[in-house]
Amino acid sequence: MEHVTSYRTYWVLWVVLLLLTVIMLVTEAAGLPRLVTVGVILLAMTVKVVTIGAWYMHLRYERLSLILSVVLGTFATAGALYFLLIPDGLAMHRLAQ
Amino acid sequence: MTSAVLSPAEQPRADWGGGVSPFGVSWQKLMMWFFLVTDALLFAGFLVSYAFVRLAAETWPKQTDVFPMVKIAAMTFILITSSATMATAVGAAHRKDLRRAMIFVLLTAIGGALFLAGQVTEWATLIAEGARLTQNPWGPPPFAAFFFMMTGFHGTHVLIGVILLGIVTVRLARGKATGHGVEIAGLYWHFVDVVWCFIFPLFYLL
Repeated sequence: MEHVTSYRTYWVLWVVLLLLTVIMLVTEAAGLPRLVTVGVILLAMTVKVVTIGAWYMHLRYERLSLILSVVLGTFATAGALYFLLIPDGLAMHRLAQ
Repeated sequence: MTSAVLSPAEQPRADWGGGVSPFGVSWQKLMMWFFLVTDALLFAGFLVSYAFVRLAAETWPKQTDVFPMVKIAAMTFILITSSATMATAVGAAHRKDLRRAMIFVLLTAIGGALFLAGQVTEWATLIAEGARLTQNPWGPPPFAAFFFMMTGFHGTHVLIGVILLGIVTVRLARGKATGHGVEIAGLYWHFVDVVWCFIFPLFYLL
């Protein structure tokens, strides 16, 4: 679906993306508790990915069938991979200690 | 029992019944999306295997002690900026402003080339410090192996993108490129940026 977004929107989002990257760097360097650091960085990462996908890749203007195929197709498969493998990684970590 | 035979015009329309596009996009754009999904799963496999090895390892080097974070941050800024220039190029191409589209596609390609230059020097520095696929001076061997594998695959994608954008620039200069073509090239380039959005925090920061 063709949809023309204003140039200004793209460059406002560019500022947002840069700020999110700065937030990530500052959070990592601040020496906050590990859980807070991981949470903030993962949240910023998610917002960046959604911003690029929705506005720069115009996914928000596409049909729901395409959005679900792309987003669910990717994240359901990657999520299944993660939850199948990670428990074994944690078990190996416990055994090594 | 009798059944009425409906003419094609009388038959109920279904998106999956053929004859219409269920996704509402051209086949070229759909194939690019499907390619990107499969390519995303390749990187998902890398990242999940990285998480597995990292969790299973007794120790892991602190990344900020190994990598020059200012340089990595600069590379990230360059890649994000190139995504903004690419989005601007796609917008210009859809408005039939081919000159502006060409300028911004060229700027995007230059951004990609700068990112690659940063990655090449990063690899050269780490190799000079003793990093190899099977060993490294900082700890578990998989640390360097994952670094070379993930940044190598991503860098290859950037290189392919720069070549693709070079071709699009030439086609725009000759007046042969369409807004649709620029948009499909843009999808690929934004995907490269999305992948870096995962690699940068998960490998370099956490």
